[in-house]
Amino acid sequence: MKPAKFEYVAPATVDAAVEALRAANGEGKVLAGGQSLLPLLNFRMTRPAVLVDLNGIKDLSFIELRGDRVAIGALTRHREIEQSPLIGSKLPVMAAAMRYVAHLAIRNRGTIGGSLSHADPAAELPMLSLFYGASLLVQGPSGRRTVAAEDFFVDALTNCLEPEEIVVEIEFPILQHDGWAFEEVARRFGDFALASIAVSVRRRASTIEDVRVAVMGVADTPLRLKEVEAKLRDIAIDNQTPDRFSGLVTSCVSANGDLHASAEYRHHLLGRLARRAMQTALATKG
Amino acid sequence: MRPRNVGAPIKRTEDPRLLTGRGEYSADRKPDRPLHIAFLRSGQPHARIARIDTAAAQTSPGVVAVFTAECITGDFKPVIPFSRMPNYYATPIVPLATGKVRYVGEAVAAIIATSRYLAEDALELIEVDYEPLGALARAELAVAGDAALLHEEAGTNVLIAREFKKGDVAADLKAAAVRVGGRFEMTRKAPLAMEPRSYTAEYDKRRDAITLYTSSNIPGIVRDAISESLDLPGHRLRVVAPDVGGSFGSKGSLYPEELLICIAARKLGRSLKWTADRLEDVSSSSQAFAEIVDAEMGFDANGVATSLQADVIGDVGAYSIYPWTCGLEPVQVVSFLPGPYKIASYRGAVRGVATCKPPTGPYRGVGRPISTFVAERLMDLGGKALGLDPLEIRRRNLVRAEEFPYRIASGIIWDKTGFVECLDAAAEAAGYEHLRVQQAAARKQGRLFGIGIASYAELTGIGSRIAVAPGMPINTGSETAKINIDSTGGVTAAFGVASHGQGLETTLAQIVADDLGARFEDVRVIQGDSDEVPMSTGTYASRSAVLGGGAAKHASRILQDKIKRVASHLLEANQDDIEVSDGKAAVIGTDRAVTFKQVAKAVYSDMKTLPVEAREELTATYTYDPINGTTAAATHIAVVEVDPATCFVKILKYVVAEDCGRIINPMIVDGQVHGGVAQGIGAALFEELIYDDDGQLLSASLVDYVIPSAPEVPAMDVIHIESESAVAGGFRGMGEGGTIGAPAAIANAIADALSPLGVDVSILPMTPERIFRLMEQARFNARGKADE
Repeated sequence: MKPAKFEYVAPATVDAAVEALRAANGEGKVLAGGQSLLPLLNFRMTRPAVLVDLNGIKDLSFIELRGDRVAIGALTRHREIEQSPLIGSKLPVMAAAMRYVAHLAIRNRGTIGGSLSHADPAAELPMLSLFYGASLLVQGPSGRRTVAAEDFFVDALTNCLEPEEIVVEIEFPILQHDGWAFEEVARRFGDFALASIAVSVRRRASTIEDVRVAVMGVADTPLRLKEVEAKLRDIAIDNQTPDRFSGLVTSCVSANGDLHASAEYRHHLLGRLARRAMQTALATKG
Repeated sequence: MRPRNVGAPIKRTEDPRLLTGRGEYSADRKPDRPLHIAFLRSGQPHARIARIDTAAAQTSPGVVAVFTAECITGDFKPVIPFSRMPNYYATPIVPLATGKVRYVGEAVAAIIATSRYLAEDALELIEVDYEPLGALARAELAVAGDAALLHEEAGTNVLIAREFKKGDVAADLKAAAVRVGGRFEMTRKAPLAMEPRSYTAEYDKRRDAITLYTSSNIPGIVRDAISESLDLPGHRLRVVAPDVGGSFGSKGSLYPEELLICIAARKLGRSLKWTADRLEDVSSSSQAFAEIVDAEMGFDANGVATSLQADVIGDVGAYSIYPWTCGLEPVQVVSFLPGPYKIASYRGAVRGVATCKPPTGPYRGVGRPISTFVAERLMDLGGKALGLDPLEIRRRNLVRAEEFPYRIASGIIWDKTGFVECLDAAAEAAGYEHLRVQQAAARKQGRLFGIGIASYAELTGIGSRIAVAPGMPINTGSETAKINIDSTGGVTAAFGVASHGQGLETTLAQIVADDLGARFEDVRVIQGDSDEVPMSTGTYASRSAVLGGGAAKHASRILQDKIKRVASHLLEANQDDIEVSDGKAAVIGTDRAVTFKQVAKAVYSDMKTLPVEAREELTATYTYDPINGTTAAATHIAVVEVDPATCFVKILKYVVAEDCGRIINPMIVDGQVHGGVAQGIGAALFEELIYDDDGQLLSASLVDYVIPSAPEVPAMDVIHIESESAVAGGFRGMGEGGTIGAPAAIANAIADALSPLGVDVSILPMTPERIFRLMEQARFNARGKADE
């Protein structure tokens, strides 16, 4: 289990990295934290001619407040996000989800840009980027462009980038909400999710003014459930709301099955997690 | 004299080096310019090899040689896992697939190159034409008359068939007040040692000799088998198991790769290295369980089990293993099925069926995890049918203290062990009465709360009268200790047993220190080296504390007598008045003493102190055979709650009361119990090697093959019942019990938790998916009832 031969380059700037990818002629691959890429290389499931290591690019790792948004550099490690007070106060759903991202050793190394680019349907950060409606700044040979998270994830392990494009930073809008919840079930703590849901609720008196909901682990990509959001807007909150929410979520998601969980079980799980999440979101303030 | 070391919770002497990265494993060996091996493994489950073209691989950069079966035919004799068992076919073991492949992962060719990277590059250049012969993916289908044969020479896919019988089971079942039964299954499991299999062969040109460093727990057996196969005498073939990172049985058989690396070393006159990657280790090391048991138990009206019958199909994989044979795991299921219970009549029939999977082999507990799962499920079902509490029905059936030695219906004899004592101690420690009260309260709230009990007994430290594997030709009944004091006074104790995590370096030193009278820290233990003792079979079957420990005791006493004789000259005292302790020989009741160093100097160096005839070399060797062996037993109690939302099982409480006889080191005993239970939790809730109908392994990585990690293993209470056994030292083997008891206890607890739903637990692991299906079934049943 050793990788096939590849060239290794370690550019110091994003411009140089993009140039290296362009020169690789579609045979290049970007190395960030390496937590998914290295196993793929070792299994020889990925065999790039050139490996472009971003770790020497210093200005890609940051977390900063920009008005009503939080910007995170693509090379920021999961652990830095997990421990960031800014994330804790401005993006609390993300802060809660970060401890579910694999294990500590992986969080020390893995990066947000890498996780989003890898586009695993059961990984937390891709789902959170949909949940928050994040925008990804990507750089290619013809300059920089912005991609909405909802356009970014094409299929399982597939994003919409061109081979020579690199994610540079991600901006997360700060959500106004009165309550929120993040629920996830995995076989073991730190495993990929069997099912997971993030929800936040803004109230007006005893009605739902706005709601945000995203799920993962059940389909080929994470999903933001705008249909459910629309149906819940302006409805009165009562003790049936969590059940109603659960019903709406399960009726608009058809789950995938795999080795760990059948479609039926995932569907059941998602329904139960949805109910629990809504109960929590309605019970908490802030 | 009171032992100072045996019984004390001494910290393991091996730990500082292992925990600080100073251990030396097989892969850490650094021979001169070693070559590296990569194996081309079959992607086909069952196919004729029509053609192998290695021409392109031969010219690939760094490649020194490419071997296929054809290239090495004259270099070895196949190893035959012989057994005197009737109805057994011994599949020959060869290093590379010959003629056809029989499982996905079987080695077909070996590339030998200057680096593993270059070797793996060249692998991709080998072309193999396979003619598919049809996968045999399930044992139940492989026994069908029209199934393809995996080994044509055997004439059948049933590689082993056996039946145990006592009394008239049919009549007793007919007469029973209550009969319970079912079809039980434990799926295939990987032993999954942290260190994958790893071999380094160091070639000595001067003598055409090989030293094989192997991650094995049976280096002596490997030495003898390779010596025979390669016609290389033992003084030119040394096999060493250095630090070994776990085995759990997966490193307890001879492997084709061990043969190949030695053949290649001789052929090329070079040293070589190979370490399995995780995928290779999971898909080619011996695997565990894979049995389906149809069983029935009859009880009289008082809850006494009168009769038991079982038909077992073991999916043994593609080959028999050396030296244990493919009968080891499945035959043990029927020989241990009656367990610690007095069941009058019994019929247990087993078939070991060849399939296109890696061989099954020894795995911590061998056969008994499933025999205990089945027997303990039947006990609970019987109790339920009779309205008896699970604790009470076991009390009525366990062999009682006054009834030992007791021959159970399958023929195994239990020596005196605390069966009932373990049951009572576990119940008391768990607060059993209170747990039932808690359960009643939980059920009122609609919670799925369950309590599970499992009692079992096992044979450990088996001597020469009983074969570890049925009908096998090698002696597994003795072990040798060789102890010497050198001219500096240093004490070295050498053994053939081969610790791979058990802490034998510590426990054997504890025994030697006490019985020789040395200081614990002065005793160096050498083990796992075939050059140290003439013959040894290694560490497996919970034997090393009993056999190694027994040998250590006897050899220590012989050497202590020598010390006393020398000291009596030096101290001018009667030999009987001398006491040896703490590295000194002293005249009892005086301060006159000589140290081991002074004794050694007098014997070896100082030509004037002792008369010539008194200069006895300070060495002692003893080969110990416990003849029969001894029983070990335990009761496990698990308390679980099933979450109906997630279908997950949470273990709320776990108690083990075990009798391992006299304890050498309580810290190590606790560690063995904790580790065994953790693996048992894996078997009960998580671990499953899933092969599809085409014989492809679907759960081949640690993402898909799910083992319990720290958060999934609860804190547990361990209670020790120290009833001394009859073997030397009063020890009993105890490394496997945790794995035997835990699956059954957890299965019973889940069944108890789900019992309000009217569903049952008959397959392990009980994954969330399986629990979901049981709950769906319950919902379906409830709906059906409502419709009626």
